[in-house]
Amino acid sequence: MSSDEVMAPPSLPTSQAQVHARPRRRRWRTTWSLRIGLAALVFYVAVALLSLVWTPYDPLVPGIGDGYDAPSLAFPLGTDRLGSDMLSRLMMGARYDLGIALTAVAIALTIGSALGVVAGYFGGAFDTIAMRAVEIFQAFPGLLFAMLVVQAVGAGIVNVILVLSFVGIPDYLRLARAEIQAKRNWQYAEAARLAGNPRWRVAFRHLLPNSVGPLLAFTSINAAFAALVTASLGFLGLGLSPNTPEWGNMIARGQDGVMTGQWWVSFFPGLAILGLTGSLYLLGDALADLADPRRRR
Amino acid sequence: MSRLGYMMLRRLLWVLPVAFGVVTLTFFMARVFNGDPTELYAPPEATDALRAQIRARLGLADPLPVQYVHYLGNLVHFDFGVSFNTGQSVAADLSDRLPATLELGFVGLALGIAIGIPAGVLAAVNRERWPDFALRGFTLSGMALPQFWIGLVLIWIFFVSLHWLPGPVGRLPIGVALPPKVTGFLLIDSLLAGRPDLWGLALRQLALPAITLGISTAAPIARVTRAAMVEAMQSDYIRTAVAMGHGPRAIWFRYSLRNALLPVVTLIGGIAGHIFAGAVLLESIFAWPGLGQYALQAIERSDFAALQGFVIYASLLYVLAFLAVDLVYMLVDPRIRA
Repeated sequence: MSSDEVMAPPSLPTSQAQVHARPRRRRWRTTWSLRIGLAALVFYVAVALLSLVWTPYDPLVPGIGDGYDAPSLAFPLGTDRLGSDMLSRLMMGARYDLGIALTAVAIALTIGSALGVVAGYFGGAFDTIAMRAVEIFQAFPGLLFAMLVVQAVGAGIVNVILVLSFVGIPDYLRLARAEIQAKRNWQYAEAARLAGNPRWRVAFRHLLPNSVGPLLAFTSINAAFAALVTASLGFLGLGLSPNTPEWGNMIARGQDGVMTGQWWVSFFPGLAILGLTGSLYLLGDALADLADPRRRR
Repeated sequence: MSRLGYMMLRRLLWVLPVAFGVVTLTFFMARVFNGDPTELYAPPEATDALRAQIRARLGLADPLPVQYVHYLGNLVHFDFGVSFNTGQSVAADLSDRLPATLELGFVGLALGIAIGIPAGVLAAVNRERWPDFALRGFTLSGMALPQFWIGLVLIWIFFVSLHWLPGPVGRLPIGVALPPKVTGFLLIDSLLAGRPDLWGLALRQLALPAITLGISTAAPIARVTRAAMVEAMQSDYIRTAVAMGHGPRAIWFRYSLRNALLPVVTLIGGIAGHIFAGAVLLESIFAWPGLGQYALQAIERSDFAALQGFVIYASLLYVLAFLAVDLVYMLVDPRIRA
């Protein structure tokens, strides 16, 4: 948010009806986005955890069906070319796509916002260098960068997580820096300084907690992006080992089937991704509304 | 010089250090990350002498700083080196493949804008009513779905099931010769060659990838248009316009939309930067012979020169897209000049 926006007076409602109607409607929309997003996310976490102890069939064993079995009572989502049960694989896939996205985003949030606070609060040479570096890194196409690094350092969960978090850091740095810069000279920060707090304490204990809202809202959106990139890497065969039931991998495996009419192998993993990223977007929207009550929608 | 001119010049010059940073980063990243491609080109029984010879041929025998200076020197006259894969100069490879990417990108982006902006306006003027909710579902899924999956589903529906459109085999059906190359855009070249039949074939091949691209670009455009329109419609000048008795059409299109377009322009600039750098996944699904596929092959085969050339092209394109956006801003929005 730019400082202009903070300073701008909220525009006045035009009629008596709007005074009452608008906030209520916004709240309705926000709470439902929040509820649906959270509920879906909890569902995915539950499925991922459930898959640790129970799946209908063993997701990694081929030949359970005859191969390309259409969805039926025995196999609700069909089987893939090798006859592995799609539902079991999808359930297990939640571990990978959800786990990778959330871990990567948590790392990026921590490192990026710490750097951003330092850059925004202390300014100076560190700020200049950090911002130049950010600008250069952001000129890089993110997916391409991830592909390049993963191809080079080798596939595997840890590498994918590290690359994704690295790609995310510049965004958090920028966001945290902008937040801190806008609030650096507000009265509560001034008061904290006058009370004798050291500068790092003002920055990290007073200013950062007041910027958590926008950061979390972005984190949610960023997690959706991370999940999409994970799936893209998997689709290209660059992410995890080919037999891993990661959703992007599964879509790639089903690609031939699509051409011959066995649509379900690629179709359902896509829906799984849609549910995950969609709920993260909803959640991010709701959090952004909550973080900034002035945000009019 | 006028203040505006000075600002624009400064913005233009800022491209140089960023470009230099990108080039440097790319060079070292490709070297550090991508290992030694000698192994890919040497037969397994090759002697050490032969390996050394291959390394020298690939320009890898010199120490890294020397290679770097050499590379920079060549870049100055747009020499990106020779691709290990194709044996052609990377510059020639890139310019061969550029038209395919641009043609797909232009049509896809045009579709995205043509769907996205009206959809955003429609949602904003019907805020919190059913068209808004329906469109929100559309934008949410457009952004939440992987592009390659949308492409696959469209192939399944329109090629495999309905047989309305041709399969994903590239820019023309297999066995059909390209028209003589003038612009590289098949939709233009086929007409220049007086071959409307070819134009139809090329258009049908283009349809599915372009629609996929259109859907996934329309979603964020609609979203931003809606938000900006809502913001504009609640502003004081719109209230004034309403009070002065202007009709809804004038309010929506003449006042609100025009003021809402600035963030939309920014977004479109960013999207264009991405699209014209080649949609890697989309091109790989549709066997589209553009830059995205080239980059994918370069990554898979550790083709340094090709990779660097591509990354430099893509990043500069991105930087230039934002430059263009900023310049348009400065020209359009009088508030920035103040």
